[in-house]
Amino acid sequence: MSETKDIRIITRPTKEQIRQAQIDFSPRCTAAGRVNDKETQKMVQYILNFARKHSLFLLAYGTGCGAIEIPATLTSRYDAERLGIRGAATPRQADVLMITGYLSTKTLKRVIRVYEQMQDPKYVVAFGSCTINGGMYFDSYNTIKALDRYIPVDVYIAGCMPRPEAVLKGFAKLQELIQNGNAGNGECYRKNLDWYRANQQKVIKNWDFPDEYNW
Amino acid sequence: MMTTRDIIDALTRTFDLNADVLRDNQIRLKLHKKQVAPVLLYLKNQLGFIHLDHVSCVDWLEENVFELVYIVYRPQDRLTVLVKTKIDRQHPEMENMETFWPHMRTYQRELREMFGIDFPGFEAPKEFILEGWDEMPPMRRDFDTRAYVQRTYTTRPGREDAWSVREYITRRTGEKLPDFVKKYSRD
Repeated sequence: MSETKDIRIITRPTKEQIRQAQIDFSPRCTAAGRVNDKETQKMVQYILNFARKHSLFLLAYGTGCGAIEIPATLTSRYDAERLGIRGAATPRQADVLMITGYLSTKTLKRVIRVYEQMQDPKYVVAFGSCTINGGMYFDSYNTIKALDRYIPVDVYIAGCMPRPEAVLKGFAKLQELIQNGNAGNGECYRKNLDWYRANQQKVIKNWDFPDEYNW
Repeated sequence: MMTTRDIIDALTRTFDLNADVLRDNQIRLKLHKKQVAPVLLYLKNQLGFIHLDHVSCVDWLEENVFELVYIVYRPQDRLTVLVKTKIDRQHPEMENMETFWPHMRTYQRELREMFGIDFPGFEAPKEFILEGWDEMPPMRRDFDTRAYVQRTYTTRPGREDAWSVREYITRRTGEKLPDFVKKYSRD
C-alpha cells in the first residue's frame, strides 16, 4: 500500500486519449453486414428488431449486491414489464443476460458458460461500476476488473448501485440499439473467440471447458 | 447460573492456565497449542459452552506467528470464552477438531485455504472458496495483493490518473473551494 504515490501519473491523459484507449481496449462489433440505416433497412429486419426490442426475456445473474435492485425494477413500482422486460427461467430461453455487480473469477466461469448457452440474438447488460472498472474491488485479488475482456457487453449501467430508474434507462438504451441493429454481440464473440478465450484462461486457472464452442 | 468467576475457578482447578476477564461476560484464555483441544472439550462437555461462535486467525507477521482464536458460548448465562493460541508461522499446524462441532469443519477449511494452516488427519476437500489457486494463501499479510492484481487482471484505462472528485466537479462548475477542503487535495 506504500506504493500508492509512485503509481500516480502526474501528466493526465486527455479526454481524446482516454476515449481512444477505451476503443482499443476490447473489440467492438461493427454493424457490418447488418442493415442499419433508414434508406436500406428492409421491412423484415425492421419488424424483427421491433419485435425483439419489445420482448426482452431477462436472465438476471445476481452476483453481487446489485441483485437487490432487480426485484424493485421488475415489480409493481417501476414495472419493467410495461416495456416488455420480464424474467426468464433458463439461459436457453433468455435474450438478455444481466450481470449485477462484481464477478469473482469463480463466478466468471459460470457466467461464461451461461453466456455460451444462450441463443442468438443475445444481449449483455452489465450493471454497476464493478463490472466497468472493478469499482470498490479495484485491488481485490479475486474479482475481475472489466467485464468486456471476457464476454462482449452491449450496455453498461454506471452507478454503485444504479437505481431502478437508471436500470430502465439502460434498457431503453438497449432497445434503441436493438432497433438500430447495433446490439447483439454473439457474432462478435464467435469471431474473436481466440482473443476472449486467451483472456478467460488467464484468470480461470482450472480450465475444463469443452474445446468446441458450437452454440 | 454460572458467573465468570465460577468458570475461571473450574478451569484453573482442572488445567494449568491463566485466565483474565475482558468484560463481565467475556473470558480470555491464552493457551499453549497442545492445551487447546482438551480445554475446548472441557468447556463444551462440562461447563456447558455448547456453541462454537467463531474461529479466526490473526497474522502476526512481525512476531512470525499465527494467532488462532476460538470463541465458544454458553447460552444460559450468555457467557463467552475466547481461547487464543499462537502457532508457528513457517510450518503452521493445528490439531484437527472437526469432531467437536460439525461446523468446525467449515472454519478449518477456510483457515487451510486462506492462511495455509495444516490440520493433520483433516480430510475435507481441498478447495473451499477459491478455485484453482496456485499462489501463496491470499489472507497472509506478506501476500502482495496489488502486485498480484496488476499481473493478473487488466484494468480499464482512465482510472490511473486518480482525479479528486471534489476538484473535478469544481473545475466544471466554477465553484470556489473553501480552504479546509484544500487540505485534503491530492495535488
